[in-house]
This record gives sequence, structure tokens and C-alpha cells, in this order.
Amino acid sequence: MRSLTGFKTLVWREIYRFISVFTQTIIPPVVSSFLYIFIFGLSLGQRIEEVHGHPYLVFLVPGLIMMYVIEGAYSNTSSSLFISRWANNIEELLVTPLSYFEMVLAILIGGLARSLVAATGVYGVSLLFVHFPMVHPAVVIYFLILVSLSFSSVGMIVALFAEEFEHLSICTTFVITPLIFFGGVFHSIEMVPAGIRWLTLFNPMFYMINGLRYGMLGTADTPILLSAFVTLVFFVTLFSATVYLFRIGFKLRK
Amino acid sequence: MVPAISIQSLVKFYRQFKALDQVSFEVREGDFFGFLGPNGAGKTTTISAITGLANFQEGTIRVFGHDVLQEYRESRALIGLVPQEFNFDPFLSAEQILIFEGGYFGFSRQEAKQRAAELLESFELTGKRKEGYKRLSGGMKRRLLLARALMHRPKVLILDEPTAGVDVELRHRLWEFLRRLNQEGITIFLTTHYIEEAEKLCNQIGVIHEGKIIALDPTATLIRKMVRDQVELYLRKPLSELPRELVALEVRLRNGGRELQFEEREGVVPVALRVLYERGIEVERIDVKRPTLEDAFLKLTKKRPAEIETYSHSKEDRGLLKKEEGSELEA
Repeated sequence: MRSLTGFKTLVWREIYRFISVFTQTIIPPVVSSFLYIFIFGLSLGQRIEEVHGHPYLVFLVPGLIMMYVIEGAYSNTSSSLFISRWANNIEELLVTPLSYFEMVLAILIGGLARSLVAATGVYGVSLLFVHFPMVHPAVVIYFLILVSLSFSSVGMIVALFAEEFEHLSICTTFVITPLIFFGGVFHSIEMVPAGIRWLTLFNPMFYMINGLRYGMLGTADTPILLSAFVTLVFFVTLFSATVYLFRIGFKLRK
Repeated sequence: MVPAISIQSLVKFYRQFKALDQVSFEVREGDFFGFLGPNGAGKTTTISAITGLANFQEGTIRVFGHDVLQEYRESRALIGLVPQEFNFDPFLSAEQILIFEGGYFGFSRQEAKQRAAELLESFELTGKRKEGYKRLSGGMKRRLLLARALMHRPKVLILDEPTAGVDVELRHRLWEFLRRLNQEGITIFLTTHYIEEAEKLCNQIGVIHEGKIIALDPTATLIRKMVRDQVELYLRKPLSELPRELVALEVRLRNGGRELQFEEREGVVPVALRVLYERGIEVERIDVKRPTLEDAFLKLTKKRPAEIETYSHSKEDRGLLKKEEGSELEA
């Protein structure tokens, strides 16, 4: 069997990269999640009724975790790959004997690691204020891993298409953040006006956030199997697209 | 013996522009191969195709028999690439750049650390090992590029203009180092703008022009085929007119009649000297100027593509090349 040393080296390089700039990658989600929990959960949340039978703060935390998982995964791979293209050190990688599949998977695992660190941080902060039942741990792991790998793939795809740094943040501002917010981080679909409720059903983040919420709290806006299926299809599509783009050398090879 | 690099009928387009047009050549194991051509001729594109940094539309490339597309992992494991421009990871120190490179090629962390320490020492970078590459001088960055390419002990080292912008002292040290590597058995494929560099180091030369290979010869053969020795005869008294017999030999009168100049061809020197002796013209001094690779290169690249094709693909030339190879390798 072929040695996995090259693959493991690239995984470590990806993890090392975000650890070496931890003030930009690890600290911010912990600080801002504290603020969200404090302001929305503790202060405003007391004026909101229970949602699905849980206090608002308990309802909020799975959504926040998913938000930082998505942002962490996307930011890690998009900036890592785009900087590598920009500084041209992607060539250093492309001339190694690593397969394209290994390259993609290693970079995605870097995104997964960062988003799991963010998730742990947010969860840790939330434990200062509230206790969670964690009803279905396997479901939690399923959603954390698949969603993280999916948005790591999105990050890589955007980094391949992007021509400037600005394009990475345009995608965050105009696509990812609105979809996360409309996907139900802060609200249940029942709180959305009935006339536009159907729009939410086309937002993949809605299924992801509710999948995690089901895993942690045992209740959600969508059936768990539907959430799991949508998330799986989303992951398989994006992962395959990323491997395909690497294999054809899209914006990587001349 | 399997060639170190074998390229057959390589065609590469950049949109509509044909950057490489039926490029075919081989680099034998142990060669110090110089790949020359004017800017934009296709040198870097060829290197990119060999190393997997460029796609190509037609042709095959093999490195020690491994197809660079079908068996890219095997072929890439055998190549060390020194690119034209610095392409280091901005997050890593010099030492980490080498250690990670070793890891990508399958070295354990311990092995990679040891190999990195050896190379940092060899390239006099030990004192700078903790520095990020941006804090290194231009010469140090060049040395680090070379160290990185050698991390995994490649069998072929490909260098894309490694001495561009390097001061004379470092250039000579790099030449010495490359010579030593070649003597140790590493096949070297070098592109350079310094023709002198290719002439001093390379035993084989390939010339590419407008995407086509226009010459492929042992260095000395290429020079001899393309340009002849220049003979200069300095006369004691100036001549007002060139004797008729010498006009027929394409001798030129220069420097106010004090100098005769012609290309050395079989029998020309004795005839010219006899004519001068018979006419009582005294010769003070004779100089023979050896042509350089630069002369050959300029002559080649100034030719029109049609003429060049006739030259480079004629069967007679190939036969001649084979016969002469043995004697010219050491040139």
C-alpha cells in the first residue's frame, strides 16, 4: 500500500496554517458567539416564548454552532487555496506525487478541523450559560462533518474561480451569510410569515441547521431523514465538483 | 537504456495560440541538457508540461518511462523542479518549507528534518532557517529553491533560468554545484538566457524557437555545424585591393586594408597564405577566433522557420549526430 505520509503532511500544513494565525481564525468565533449568546439569548431571548418546547437560548445555540461551522470551513479553504494561487505556491503542491483526490481531501480536512475547533469553542461558551441534552450524538457528528466538508468544498470552488481577494468576501456577504440567516439560525420556520415560508424550503442551510438542532435537542422544523438526505446530496455534489476541478486543473494548470 | 525524459510530438495551445508545435526530443540519463530559446519560445511551457503544471493537447511525455499523465505520481517523484519565480509558502520558514516538501514526497518527519538540515548547511542557509522566505535575500531565495527541489533526492533536476538576476559570484557557485550534482549522476535539464552558462555546463543542447525544436545536438557539434572558426590575418603593410584569388575564397579586407578575415573551411588557409606569399604580402600575425554557442544560437534563431525545419529534421543530420555523439560528449 502506498504511503500516506504526503497526504498527512498536507493535512498538517492546512491545520498549521490556521493555528499560526489563531487570532484571525480561532478567537473571533468564540468572542462573537459569546456576544450573540449574551445579547440574543440572555437579554432578548427572555422576551421570546419557548421554541419547540425549549428556552430560546437552547434553541439558538445549535444554529450558532452551524453558522460558525459553515463560516470556518468556507473561510479556511477559500483563503488557503486562494493565497496559494496568489503566491503561486500551489505549484509547489502540484508537482508533488500526491493524487488530486488526496490534495482535495487534505485541504477539506483542514477546513473540517477549523470548523470543529470553532464548533467546540461556541459549544464551550454556551455551556457557561445553559446545559444541553445532546439527544442524538451520532446525528450531531453526521451533520457537523458533512456540512463542514460541504462548505470546505464551496470555499475551494470559490477560491478557484476568484480572481481577487474581494471575490471571496463577496460570496460570504451576498450568498453564505444571507442563506445562513434565512436558514433558521435565530428563528423557527413557524416565525416566518406564511406567504414566504415556502422560500425557506429551497435553502439547503435550513436542512443543515435543523439537522444539527435535531441531533442536539431532539426537535426541529424538518424531518431528520430529509435533512440528512439533502445534506448528503449537497456534500456529494460539491465534493465531486471540487475533485473534478482539481483533476482538470481548472485555474491551476496552464 | 530508458531516457530520463522523452517527449514525443508535444502540442500545446493557449487558446488559439500554438505554443508548442510537434516538439520531440529525449534527454538521456546523466545528461546535462541545455534548453535554449528566445523569450516566449516555449521553454517554460515545455517544463510545465513535463512537471504537470500545464495541460497539453497532443503528444506523450515520459520520465524514466513513466507517462506524466497516466503515471503522474511515479514521474513526479523522480523530478525536482527549480522554477523561474519564487513560489514559497508565505506561512512557513525556510526550514519548514524544506520539511513540508520532504513530507509531500513521503519522508517521515525525522528523515525530512535531517535532510533539511543537510541542505540548509550545503546552501549556507542554516543561520536563516527560522526566517520566512520574504526575509531572505534574492540569492538566498534562489538557494532555497534549489534546496527544496533536491529535498526528495530526484533523479532529474529541472531548472528554469536558475541564475537569472543572480550576481556573478553566486552564479559561478551554482554552476559548480550543478556540475557536481551531474557528476553524482543526477540528470540536469536547464533553461537559461546565459548562453555562456549552457556552453560551460551542458553536453547536449536543444534549441526551441516559436514552439518548434530547431536544433538538437551535442554542444560542440551544434557550434561546429552552425558557425565556423573566424581566421584573421594581420598584414605588415596595408593592401589597397584584395587579390582576385582571395575574392573567390570569400576573404574580406578590413581595417583600412591591414586585416584579412574569412571563415575557416577545408583548404582555405593554405591557399590564402600561398597567394599572399606569392605576391610578397607579409603577414604579421594570425588569429583564429573560436565561435561560441551564442554565435550558433543567434544564427539559428535568426533563420526563417522553413530553413530551420530543413536543418533540424534532415536524416543526414541525425546520422551525423549519432556518429559524433561519442566523441563530443566530453566537450
